[in-house]
Amino acid sequence: MDSITTAASVVAAGLAVGLGAIGPGIGQGSAAQGAVEGIARQPEAEGKIRGTLLLSFAFMESLTIYGLVVALVLLFANPFAG
Amino acid sequence: MLAESQYQPAGDPLDRGELTVGTPIDANSSPEIAEKLASSSAVQKNSLDEYVHFQRRIFFATIVVSAIAVSISFFWFPISTSSSLLIGALCGVLYLRLLARSVGKLGKSSKTVSKIQLVIPVLLVLGVSKLPQLDLLPSLLGFLLYKPSLILQVMLESSNQEESKH
Repeated sequence: MDSITTAASVVAAGLAVGLGAIGPGIGQGSAAQGAVEGIARQPEAEGKIRGTLLLSFAFMESLTIYGLVVALVLLFANPFAG
Repeated sequence: MLAESQYQPAGDPLDRGELTVGTPIDANSSPEIAEKLASSSAVQKNSLDEYVHFQRRIFFATIVVSAIAVSISFFWFPISTSSSLLIGALCGVLYLRLLARSVGKLGKSSKTVSKIQLVIPVLLVLGVSKLPQLDLLPSLLGFLLYKPSLILQVMLESSNQEESKH
């Protein structure tokens, strides 16, 4: 793998993780805030709120995982490495 | 200034923004308060039991979907592909378990959702890239098998709720 490909892969890996984590991070924060407020207001609905929060976290965090996987593939199993 | 310092507003202290602390309520002294506290804690326990049941249903659905996908892949694809799918599915179940645990801890023992579950896909990709017997793409597909099971579970629950309404 030549040096330009290596440098581009490292930069792309950093951008993939960094940019891919912004949106899910904001979304998870607001979802957790809403869930904790809802549990504090309605403790009898805690189970349903936590279940919904688990589902939303699972779908939100998969976006972070996509970026993470792309970054790891670029770093450790690079398909552009000649 | 002097007139303002002399002025004492009348009325309710709460309307003036003052907080008055009354005598603490002893739950043992009043049986009604103790009964209300006991009933609210029982409701909260039932709600948490509901969350535990929901977790179990999700894990069961994930394991069933993973078993079906792995058994189909054993017939159609080579053994390395199906073993990669199996390892990815096991990592997906473990990831979902860690995520459910961190969501369960939210608001009780931790203020934020922990990110320890993200170690699982990192270890999976690193392990698959280091081991030549395993393939990357099937293991990632196996890891993401928890998503169809979650969608399936949500659809089943919503259809059950609609049936119970009618």
